[in-house]
Amino acid sequence: MDAAKQFDTVIIGGGIAGMTAAVYLARANHSCVVLESNITGGLCNSTYTVENFPSYTDINGMELMQKVRDQVDALGVPVEEVCEITSLELNGDTKRVHTDEGVYEAPTIILATGRKPLPLEVPTPSDQVHHCAICDGAPYKGKRVLVVGGGNSAFDESLYLMQLGVAHLTLVEVMPRFFAAEKTQDQLMAYKNVRTMKETRVHDLVVEHNVLTGAVLENTQTGARETIPVDGVFVFLGQLPNSRLFAHSITLDKQGYVLADANMQTNIPGVFSAGDINAKTFRQLTTAAADGTIASLMADRFLRR
Amino acid sequence: MFTQLTSANFATTLESTKEGVALFYKKLCPHCKNMEKVLEKFSGQRQGISFYSIDIEEEADTAKAFGAERAPTILVIKGGKVAATKAGLMNPKEMAAFYDSAKA
Ligand SMILES: Cc1cc2nc3c(=O)[nH]c(=O)nc-3n(C[C@H](O)[C@H](O)[C@H](O)COP(=O)(O)OP(=O)(O)OC[C@H]3O[C@@H](n4cnc5c(N)ncnc54)[C@H](O)[C@@H]3O)c2cc1C
Repeated sequence: MDAAKQFDTVIIGGGIAGMTAAVYLARANHSCVVLESNITGGLCNSTYTVENFPSYTDINGMELMQKVRDQVDALGVPVEEVCEITSLELNGDTKRVHTDEGVYEAPTIILATGRKPLPLEVPTPSDQVHHCAICDGAPYKGKRVLVVGGGNSAFDESLYLMQLGVAHLTLVEVMPRFFAAEKTQDQLMAYKNVRTMKETRVHDLVVEHNVLTGAVLENTQTGARETIPVDGVFVFLGQLPNSRLFAHSITLDKQGYVLADANMQTNIPGVFSAGDINAKTFRQLTTAAADGTIASLMADRFLRR
Repeated sequence: MFTQLTSANFATTLESTKEGVALFYKKLCPHCKNMEKVLEKFSGQRQGISFYSIDIEEEADTAKAFGAERAPTILVIKGGKVAATKAGLMNPKEMAAFYDSAKA
């Protein structure tokens, strides 16, 4: 078997948080590697236009992430994409990361695995299915949208879509009640062009010539189906933190997010976490980058101690 | 690693390929970029497979003809014929299993 590859820091996850950490560590002359299960860029890759990242009025998400990646490459940081991590040994002075590419060892680890939106499970796929109204809502001004989910984000993002000027909005919730705050519910239901439906699931989508034209809704009690015309679907079924890999040793909150302190320190010395994987209130590119900065500076301090 | 094909040469290239994989992709599609990396890894584990890429938007007729309108779609080519077609992202293990299960 090949000898383990040694680094000062192993960064797990190549989104904005992980890549920002890599930039700081490389500039501090630490050897680090980014291990990424897919391709670098993370969630931002699927955001068509980013309009709130300081530096560009607007930029395609994948393009923005490529620029960050270029910066990581320019600093000579190795990046392993499509890398499958099989297990982690986080306790002890030397941490070990077992992957399909071999074993990586380092005294410090930065966890930056982010989270993923729960998908809408329907037989017919469509490019007009989105997970963020702020990001992808603009083209639906004057059009009809379907919102899936009845929690706070579904109602909040629906209000945002209404402010954008969508022509009609249907919100469906599979349970017998909505879970959003009463006030938000009242606000949305005050619109005449909003229809809300409980005990309703999306059975399928109608796609013609690659364009979404409708959605088939099903009443969970009666089984009755109805096809409604829609141009876009926004799915807010919740998010899943990518923390399964280290759930056995890192202290997580009930939802599975890492409970790190303000300096991104986890319950294990030498293990830091950054970005959307952390339990926190705001999850944006800027906040993830900031977390990555702090985690790497703390790792630097830990390595020099 | 990928030979870029167009509608003009796709069918003839396919016919003359003993073992190959064609990636139908769209620009600005993150899953397509991802699939590209998966295929790069897969190619490192296998010998004698040709890799092709085709832009779905630019070669819409070919994509339609081969049922590859969704991005990404993978075509496994064996003995000059399409042996299997699959849309969506796969990891390297799934790709290897998919390739091996495709019969000429
Ligand atoms: C649709 C959408 C639109 C958005 N639009 C905006 C916007 O306009 N502006 C903004 O500021 N924010 C936006 N956000 C939020 C922003 O994308 C996130 O806050 C940011 O991407 C978080 O970065 P991260 O690095 O923490 O996590 P991620 O971007 O999720 O990156 C985590 C990375 O870790 C990898 N990973 C996970 N598990 C493993 C593992 N076991 N092994 C190896 N690698 C692993 C993942 O593949 C991923 O690449 C949007 C989010 C969504 C869903």
